[in-house]
Amino acid sequence: MNYDWTLWGLFILLGLATTLPRASFIVLGERAALPESLQKALRYAPAAALAAIVAPDVFVTGGELTVLSPRLAAAVAAVLAALLFRNPWLPFIAGMGVLWGVERLLLAWMG
Amino acid sequence: MSPSFRDGFREGFRAFLPLSVGLIPWALVTGLTMSGVGFTPLQAMGMNVIVFAGTAQLGTLPLIAAGSPVWLIVITAFVLNLRFIIFSAAIARGFRGVPAGARWLSGHLLTDGAFATCLERMLSHPDPQWRLGYYLGPSIWSWLLWQVFAFCGVMAAGSIPRGWSLEFMATIALIVLLVPMARVRPMLVAALVGGGLAVALRGMPLRLGVIVAIVAGIAAGFAAESWRGKDLP
Repeated sequence: MNYDWTLWGLFILLGLATTLPRASFIVLGERAALPESLQKALRYAPAAALAAIVAPDVFVTGGELTVLSPRLAAAVAAVLAALLFRNPWLPFIAGMGVLWGVERLLLAWMG
Repeated sequence: MSPSFRDGFREGFRAFLPLSVGLIPWALVTGLTMSGVGFTPLQAMGMNVIVFAGTAQLGTLPLIAAGSPVWLIVITAFVLNLRFIIFSAAIARGFRGVPAGARWLSGHLLTDGAFATCLERMLSHPDPQWRLGYYLGPSIWSWLLWQVFAFCGVMAAGSIPRGWSLEFMATIALIVLLVPMARVRPMLVAALVGGGLAVALRGMPLRLGVIVAIVAGIAAGFAAESWRGKDLP
């Protein structure tokens, strides 16, 4: 590590770069209202953003699009568990169970 | 600390607790990666406390390891956290009547999970003290989990088998948040467009594709809502 003390300066800059977007409107509050139509549109932010973070995790392996993968099977299991049952832990159990199961099966298949 | 703050705190914590397990593997992986880059335990935990942003931490570590210029590292972290401007604006109304210091703290503690868990109640509950509690319960719990398990990762570096794919639990946590949202048709459209474009544009530099995908997904959901509105009497 050749940064030494610069490394701590870098951490502080990174802290600012990550905290300012998060704090922006929470701190400004009423003084910086977004237009009504934008606010309406923002209701779709969580769905769009969560899907944009999840989809590459599920459909991309090493930069390549993979339609059939243990992670896709695991994601399907987690979605079904979340849709069909109210137990909040079940999607984790189902998803990780399927992920490990399918990975072991593939390993056994390929010898 | 008023009783309504404590009530909100407890309720928010309870709503978030099952989802919060998804943070654990993510924090472990971040701890392992920070050690892997060559940070001492003090440096690793310093970054973890000061930055407190999983995607930005994991995204900048390869650049730091490669000795990249500081401006590139900082801009990358900023871009990786741009989505939070949208989250911050969406949840801001929930902080009316909350003092500035608590707002800065809340801003620093904003995470995907806390946002998705708290948004609805934050915008609908009338008591500012209750809302602040409902937000800080999940947020402070996230912070504690993040520090404790990143520390475990730092300490355990090298002894946890990589083949366990524990980091996928974070993806499952996000899926659990996404499923109830996607029951509403325009939300489903927003999710499909956002997810599809994020995959299609994965080659864009600095993960800018994720930003484009989110903006397009929001626009698609908004368009789907207006479209459906015209069909109805």
